[in-house]
Amino acid sequence: MGMIYNNIRKKLLAGHTILLDGGIGTEVIRRGVRWRQHGIEDAPDVIRDIHIDYINAGADVITTHTFNLTGRNFINFFRDREHMEMIGAPGLPSKAAELCRTAVSLAKEALLNTDKVDTIPLAGSISPVMHIFRPDLSPPENICRAHHRECVEILSSCGVDLIFFEGMNNIREARSAMEAASGFDLPVWMSFVPGMDGNLLSGESLHSAVEMVRSQELEAVLVSAGNLQMITKSLQNIVNGSPCGAKAVIGRYSPPSWKPDFYPRFENIEEVSLETYARQAKGWLDQGAVIIGGSSGTTPEHIRTIKEIIG
Amino acid sequence: MGYTELKNRIDNKQITFLDGGIGTEILRRGYTWASHQLKTEPELNLEIHQDYINAGSDVITTNTFQLSKRSFRNHFANDEHMAALGAKGLLDRAGKLIYESVALADKARRILEKENILIAASITTLEWCFRPDRSPDVSKIYHEYLEELSDYADAGADIFLFETFNSTPEAEVAIRAAKEIGKPAWVAFVPYADGRLLGGQSMAEVAEAMARNEPDVLLLNCAPPDHITAGLEKLAPLWKKPLGVYAHVGKFNPPEWQFTDEYNADQHLQECKNWHNLGATVIGGCCGTTPEYIRKIIEFFS
Repeated sequence: MGMIYNNIRKKLLAGHTILLDGGIGTEVIRRGVRWRQHGIEDAPDVIRDIHIDYINAGADVITTHTFNLTGRNFINFFRDREHMEMIGAPGLPSKAAELCRTAVSLAKEALLNTDKVDTIPLAGSISPVMHIFRPDLSPPENICRAHHRECVEILSSCGVDLIFFEGMNNIREARSAMEAASGFDLPVWMSFVPGMDGNLLSGESLHSAVEMVRSQELEAVLVSAGNLQMITKSLQNIVNGSPCGAKAVIGRYSPPSWKPDFYPRFENIEEVSLETYARQAKGWLDQGAVIIGGSSGTTPEHIRTIKEIIG
Repeated sequence: MGYTELKNRIDNKQITFLDGGIGTEILRRGYTWASHQLKTEPELNLEIHQDYINAGSDVITTNTFQLSKRSFRNHFANDEHMAALGAKGLLDRAGKLIYESVALADKARRILEKENILIAASITTLEWCFRPDRSPDVSKIYHEYLEELSDYADAGADIFLFETFNSTPEAEVAIRAAKEIGKPAWVAFVPYADGRLLGGQSMAEVAEAMARNEPDVLLLNCAPPDHITAGLEKLAPLWKKPLGVYAHVGKFNPPEWQFTDEYNADQHLQECKNWHNLGATVIGGCCGTTPEYIRKIIEFFS
């Protein structure tokens, strides 16, 4: 396990707060970049700047811009691989892996640029196989495992410091993800998406999900991709003395109708003020969380405001 | 020209022209297709419709591909979840935009004083068009279609164009709903390289199912020219009623389109001649085609 992560681990075990970054995809769109190939081909500078802004805002860990960036996200538009090869643009089968590598490079450049390359670990973000909000579409265990293993391999080979499975929405896939990450000698964090009742979005018990992943050497478990109320409510189901955390979305998810995958466009983020978000995040610390940050819709200003409030 | 007049023409196998790509045309003109741009860039929508009318299209299509209530719902776990996290009015967004889309197509024909041009409502499968494995349970979708079609009918669309369908069962439900509403149903299926539907059915199965349901026009669309040809060669001998085609040119580069020079407007016209010889009399263009493609086709056939 790398030296850079060790510092985070010590802090976590000592109960010190770890501040994460906030939304990246939503920030790419908010900064006016067209959402194709995650903006990585069109606007690498913007993505690098977003990471830099989060670092300067006080994030202790930054996350790669790789959420929902897998081969599956391209092949999902087609009947199958043969169909994709016939009517899809050349290079699509390897496109996601290439973009992931570039995304990791951009985050590393941001760390170098801010002189934090030796102190801030880089979390490699991996999303659910299917839409983050559609547990019903999550495929069988073996497919999940193969998919996640491929993602871990790519991120691991690029030199991320930890694997961050973000937005797991059902227990079966969470288990597959943990299995996929074993053997890479990388610390693993996982966040779960809550439903309205404080349990998993699939309806399964969040408590059971957390028991399962903790039995598999998970370093930290979080709740994410819910609004403030959902996150606050679900956090109580994951707090049990081991490192845990929370981050919420702000604003309202406004996807285009034609896109079958998650599309990070959130409107009305001003509905939750910087101060409201930061106070709520501080409240999560009081509830027992040690890792706090922001999901979709949050910006570097949110992270900066949290930093100011928690000192 | 009302629909009766167009129908006579089509039934007499007189060649009839559709428009070309709209979503891809929005991209080609430098805009994102993050939405259909109906509210954000109405002038752009209007301009594209006008360009197709000026190119000579008899029928123009609404910019509504995959614009349905279900498409927005599909981004959430359930309606309660959508209410908690979704944009305000998201569930009503499709209905409102459908109305806008028809109004823009109508405005285009009125501005050009071509009120004989007819408006086809572009309606695709409820789930993602290229994923036959995700086709919904057809016993449960009739009312969903009825609701969607009512929106188009109320807005003033002349024809229901069910396009990029990948299997016959869903098309049959759509046609049934169209008949209930009382507007003509045209059905376009995606063929594959093997001359079957993308969903795997043979053209014999397509012809048989459609013979029972009687769409006004049966078409093949949203596949590259060679797939259209493969499908048409199989389908044409089995279908003596009006038949149409509109192929895409270029490559699908999700979430956008890659324009290529593999089939320029002249080469595309050569393909159209072949399709006409095979029996297609309703001809237009799908993704990647432009007003120039349509103009070339019409200049040749007129």
